[in-house]
Amino acid sequence: MEDKDITPNQSMLIIEAMINTAKNKLADDGFLLIFWGWLVFVSALVNYVLFSMNIVWGFLVWPILMPLGGIFTWIYTAQQNKKEQVKTYVGKYLGYLWTGFGIAMGLAVLSLGVYGIKSSYFCLMLLYGFVTFVSGGLLEFKALRIGGILSFVIAAGSVFAPEKEQLLFLSASILCSYIVPGHLLRNKFKSEQNV
Amino acid sequence: MFKDLDPVLHSQLRLAVVSLLVSVNEAEFTFLKEKTEATAGNLSVQIQKLKEAGYIEVEKKFKDNYPQTICKITPTGVKAFEKYVKDIQLYINIKK
Repeated sequence: MEDKDITPNQSMLIIEAMINTAKNKLADDGFLLIFWGWLVFVSALVNYVLFSMNIVWGFLVWPILMPLGGIFTWIYTAQQNKKEQVKTYVGKYLGYLWTGFGIAMGLAVLSLGVYGIKSSYFCLMLLYGFVTFVSGGLLEFKALRIGGILSFVIAAGSVFAPEKEQLLFLSASILCSYIVPGHLLRNKFKSEQNV
Repeated sequence: MFKDLDPVLHSQLRLAVVSLLVSVNEAEFTFLKEKTEATAGNLSVQIQKLKEAGYIEVEKKFKDNYPQTICKITPTGVKAFEKYVKDIQLYINIKK
C-alpha cells in the first residue's frame, strides 16, 4: 500500500476492508476450555469412584491436579501472550472475565472446607455456567451460551441430589459448559485459520 | 460546499492503519505491516505522522531481545476517525 491521495469512495473501501480484516478472527482457540474441561471431568469421576469404594483419600485428586492445572495455565497463557501480534477488545474483556472467574473459583474452593461439598459444588456449577454464558456472548458463539444455560439447569437440579452424586452433576456441568463447546470452538477456530 | 476532510486521515496508508487500530485494542508494527502490505519505511513515516497528530500512541519495548513496536489508538484518534467517516459519508451522499 502506497501513501497517496484517495477519493471518498476509496476511503470507504479501505475502512471496510481493514475493519473486516481485523474483526473476523475468533479471539479464542478453545484450548484452555478443553484442557480444564477434561481435567475437572476426570477428577470428578475419579473422586466419585473412590468415594463409592469408601476410599477416604479420594478427594486428594483435587488439591493435587487443580494446582498443577493452574501452573500449566499460567505458563501456557504467558507463552500465548508473547506470540500475540494483536490484542482485540474481545480478547481484553475475556481476559478480565476469566481472571475474575479464576479468583472467584479459588475462593469458592476455599469454602469447601467450611460449607461442605453440597453448597460449594453448587457455586462452582453456577460459576461455570456464568463464565461460559458471558464468553459465548462476547465471542458470539452459541454453543457456549447454551452450555452456560445447561450448567445453570444442572446446578439447580443438583440441589436435590445427595452429597456423593454432586460429583456426577459437576461432571455433567463441565461436559456441557466446557468440553463440548470447547471442542466446537476449537473446530471453528481451526477452520477460520485455514481461510 | 463540502466539509474539509481531515488531511491526516485522508491518505491511503494512514487511513488503513487507523481503521485497523479502531477495530482492535492494540497491534504490533508487524501486524500493521502485514495487513496493509506497506513497506516498513513508509509505514514508520506514516505512524510517526499519526503519533504527532495525537491519533495514536506508540510504545517501544523488547520481546525476547527483539525490539517491538506497539501501536494503540487514542480517544482523539477515535473522535477524528468518527468525524472523518461522517464527512466522507456526507460527501458521497451529496455526490449521489
